[in-house]
Amino acid sequence: MTSKDQIVTVELTDAGSTFTLREVCERGDCHAEFVIKLVSYGIIAPVDEVPEARQWQFDVEALARLQKAMRLQRDLKLNLPGLAVSLDLLDEVQDMRREIARLNQQLRQLMDE
Amino acid sequence: MDFKDYYAALGVSESASPEDIKKAYRKLARKYHPDVSKEENASDKFKEVGEAYEVLKDPEKRAEYDQLRKYGARADGSFQPPPGWQSSSGFGGGGYTEADARQFSDFFEEIFGGGRAGGFSGGPRGAGFRQSRSMRGEDVHARLALFLEEAFHGCEKQVSFTVHEPDDHGRIIARRKTLNVKIPAGMREGQHIRLKGQGAPGMGGGESGDLFIEVELAPHPHFAVEGPDVLVAVPVAPWEAALGATITVPTIGGKVNVKVPKGSTSGRKLRLKGKGFPGKHPGDQLVVLQVAMPEQHTAEAEALYEKLAELEKNFNPRSKLHV
Repeated sequence: MTSKDQIVTVELTDAGSTFTLREVCERGDCHAEFVIKLVSYGIIAPVDEVPEARQWQFDVEALARLQKAMRLQRDLKLNLPGLAVSLDLLDEVQDMRREIARLNQQLRQLMDE
Repeated sequence: MDFKDYYAALGVSESASPEDIKKAYRKLARKYHPDVSKEENASDKFKEVGEAYEVLKDPEKRAEYDQLRKYGARADGSFQPPPGWQSSSGFGGGGYTEADARQFSDFFEEIFGGGRAGGFSGGPRGAGFRQSRSMRGEDVHARLALFLEEAFHGCEKQVSFTVHEPDDHGRIIARRKTLNVKIPAGMREGQHIRLKGQGAPGMGGGESGDLFIEVELAPHPHFAVEGPDVLVAVPVAPWEAALGATITVPTIGGKVNVKVPKGSTSGRKLRLKGKGFPGKHPGDQLVVLQVAMPEQHTAEAEALYEKLAELEKNFNPRSKLHV
């Protein structure tokens, strides 16, 4: 099979879909207790914070964050408080990088004037 | 096959103690972790460091590696293991390892991979592969950089990513997959889209995982994006700002005419409703006015400026600087 044969066109199926706790555990390959702990540390949050964990729904961003948290925990041996701080700081760094890029761009425009 | 210098990868000497090796690994793992680092090739560096540590942390593997390093490496950097080489600390046979073996190089496979032909034992999912129960394929996360115009209008993009799947012998192999993906209009930085069933294939009749694509926006020379809103700096002539004018302004969707209110100053923001990113709650475009001066003036214009200076002599543009 050539690489060209492997190219197929796919349509976007669902941009706003959510996942249950069970689905998140299956996709993240982790235990529900771990997800519940991540929620209690504020590392990820369900769409609506209802008290019953079985009713939680997570969006795609939460799923991606869970997987990032798992990679960081596995690779850097972080505990949960360390994980929470790291992810918050990484978010902040990313926001600042974007802000710096935006400000640099504005600065360049001003200098061009 | 190239010889891999694991000591160089960790930046330690051949005589480094296990403690030094652990320390060097921890430092470099933090530095190059793909979720932390923005450095180019961070992912490759991280894998290289992980592979080096996998070998050097284990006294048995380290001893074997040292032996090979002494006799196997050629002057041109290439490497061939000695004929009949068989690792005694074989990767799969030796027991559980938490490292992700799928990420290791051909060099590693050649030296330590002999023991794992029967199946994959590393990684959290390893244990399930030999079982008969069905298992869902892994989700794959990929990033896609888009130009602002592409994200705004929607586009079709080719996305390449790696999926890990078993071959005919049950060994996990990495396969490069390429898809043409239709990106819907109005995707913003950090948003995800899901392509159902395009991740790694399932096992034992389990369904395939999904592909998740996170969108990144490339910086644009004129437009900046803040959430759903688009910002653009638009120069205006001093008389347009002073007297008011209708000017043509670029938006990502095309040109529009905008009324500049009389008496506008540099930095004034004009909001163009609904001209930002499309979506359920479409954003606005914010036009930031910047008063621009002609580089040269005619004698007649200079005379008019002199008249203006006389008329506006009480205006101090530097009053905020207390001068």
